[in-house]
Amino acid sequence: MSSHQADAKALLDDRGYSGQLIRGQNPAHLFEKAVRDRITESYYWKEQCFGLNAATLCDRAVELTHIGGTYGLMGKPTPFLCLAFKMLQLVPEKEVVLEYLNWGGDEEDMEGDQVQVDDDEERARRGEFKYLRALAAFYIRLAWEPVEIHKTLEPLLADFRKLKRRTRDGFTLTFMDQFVDDLLTKDRVCATSLWKMPTRMQLEDLELLDPRISPLGDEVEDLDKEDGDGKSMNGEESDGSVVSVESRHNGRHRERSFSYGSESD
Amino acid sequence: MPPKTMRPNPVMPARYRAGKPVAPEPETSEEEESEEEAQQKPTASAPKATSFPSAKALSNNLKNVDLNARREQAAAQEAARLEAKRIAKAKEEEGFETEDSEEGSEEDGSESGEESESDEESSSDDGAARRKMLRPVFVKKDQRKMNGVSAPNGKSEEDKYAEEEAKRKAKADAVVQEQLEKNAAAKAAGKKQWDNDEDVLDAEAVDDTDGLDVEAERAAWKLRELRRVKREREKIEQEEAQIAEIERRKNLTPAEREAEDREFLKKQREEQGDRGKMGYMQKYFHKGAFFQDDAKEQGLDRREIAGAKFADDVNRELLPQYMQIRDMTKLGKKGRTRYKDLRSEDTGRWGEFGDRKGAKNDYMDDDRFKPDKGYQGGGATGANAKPIGERKRYGDETVRDGKRPRVED
Repeated sequence: MSSHQADAKALLDDRGYSGQLIRGQNPAHLFEKAVRDRITESYYWKEQCFGLNAATLCDRAVELTHIGGTYGLMGKPTPFLCLAFKMLQLVPEKEVVLEYLNWGGDEEDMEGDQVQVDDDEERARRGEFKYLRALAAFYIRLAWEPVEIHKTLEPLLADFRKLKRRTRDGFTLTFMDQFVDDLLTKDRVCATSLWKMPTRMQLEDLELLDPRISPLGDEVEDLDKEDGDGKSMNGEESDGSVVSVESRHNGRHRERSFSYGSESD
Repeated sequence: MPPKTMRPNPVMPARYRAGKPVAPEPETSEEEESEEEAQQKPTASAPKATSFPSAKALSNNLKNVDLNARREQAAAQEAARLEAKRIAKAKEEEGFETEDSEEGSEEDGSESGEESESDEESSSDDGAARRKMLRPVFVKKDQRKMNGVSAPNGKSEEDKYAEEEAKRKAKADAVVQEQLEKNAAAKAAGKKQWDNDEDVLDAEAVDDTDGLDVEAERAAWKLRELRRVKREREKIEQEEAQIAEIERRKNLTPAEREAEDREFLKKQREEQGDRGKMGYMQKYFHKGAFFQDDAKEQGLDRREIAGAKFADDVNRELLPQYMQIRDMTKLGKKGRTRYKDLRSEDTGRWGEFGDRKGAKNDYMDDDRFKPDKGYQGGGATGANAKPIGERKRYGDETVRDGKRPRVED
């Protein structure tokens, strides 16, 4: 591995890049040129992200207060985005990133009895720094292989902690599992076009992944038995709002089916 | 002394010229001598601007020394000093010492008190002129009474300077202290050094502390999880349905497929509804490919402009030919095309051949082009009426020598 340079000159060099590659490409190219320029010209990057290594990056990440891409009229990058870019420069090892993620998934199964009793403890074990975890999740989505991404990020769908997200016009509230879900399904998150990953179904068809078992598990089956398809769910209230699930639109199927009519011979 | 010549160029020193005097001429020297004599007389009695009393004046004073007179003099001097003080105070705002007060202060040291009276008069006379700025004149150190405050305090210059310095420093320190406190407060409030935005309020509006209401949070999470599961399931079902449909159609015969297609198209047309007939020369607007979703939101996706009629729509057929255009904005412009519609611009004769038998020929109706009167013969008239032989038939025996020229033997 080449020597670690304090500034990001080597990373931003388009022609002469000779560091680690991600999917055969300069890691910086995972961000668009415009976003890269905004990051490199921001004060946060210049002051705080100079000469970071994996350990000091932790310190910075711990001070994060929100996630987000660029905001404002001028497209100012959030510290979250700057740190993600720094991680792309550093390309930390797998163990390090997993440590950032700090997900003690196996521990939960072993101490299954005690889990229900004390929620605070559980949360503490899961990791206090949720923004560091979000940062690690973002990096994983950008840098790793599809199978590993799915395997690593899907357990995070059980973490329901709140996150503050900075959008172009202000702050919104989101949740860790929502954020991870966006990373896995959406095309564009946090001012980055996420590279196209094979969907879970495709990976399952290729026998690389097992079908997902939701943490709810039993409850889902129960609901299916009770309600059947196309009915609204009751009893699940959050913040006083009644929830109803959309019923499947039968017409949609037919339309879809006829669209294939011309193809078959 | 002002320069002798008022020219911009300075006066050059006189050069030595042979035969000409170097020093100034004796006539001018005489004038100077007379001036000096005149000056000496008043200096003997009372020089107004000297610092040092002349020897003669001193000796005169010593002879005339008288204790009582001396006491009176001292009292008079005190009065004069007080007077001068008052005057100086009154002029503190202007900040200039006039020559009158100068004289008064200086004379105390050397002269009798009589001069002070004249000083008073002169000071009162010049009351009006005191507003004018007069030439600043040098004042002796002990006679300088600019600040009425500092003189009684007895502080020296250096002390005053040091005091001022200390005050300024204290002020600067206070300012710096303020800044530091502000920075500390801002840091405490969460704003970072690199962050110049005033978004602290916004950021605080959204609360991301966990554990406020664990049950509600857990319930919300359950909801989201269930939604995700449902979404996945639907996707799977859709895919399966598509595959099943493709399989099914593969197994049908082509005729059945066509029947299904026709049914579907018919249904589609019914759903769409009839498009209205476009008016004469009505402008065609394409509905566009991009803002379909926005239009759907506003409920405008089923619009049909084809048969639309405006309230003030003018029937274009009634207009003169020049104004029968689709796009009325082009009227009168050079860029307007004369193109009306395809049918009128077409110059071909499409589909006309073979329909008409005995095509109309205008030329033969005209008498000028009819054949001559009394013409009954075959095809040959005029120059073509020359008799000709029989036609040669193929296969007949020909007389080979028929046309050979006969030459007598």
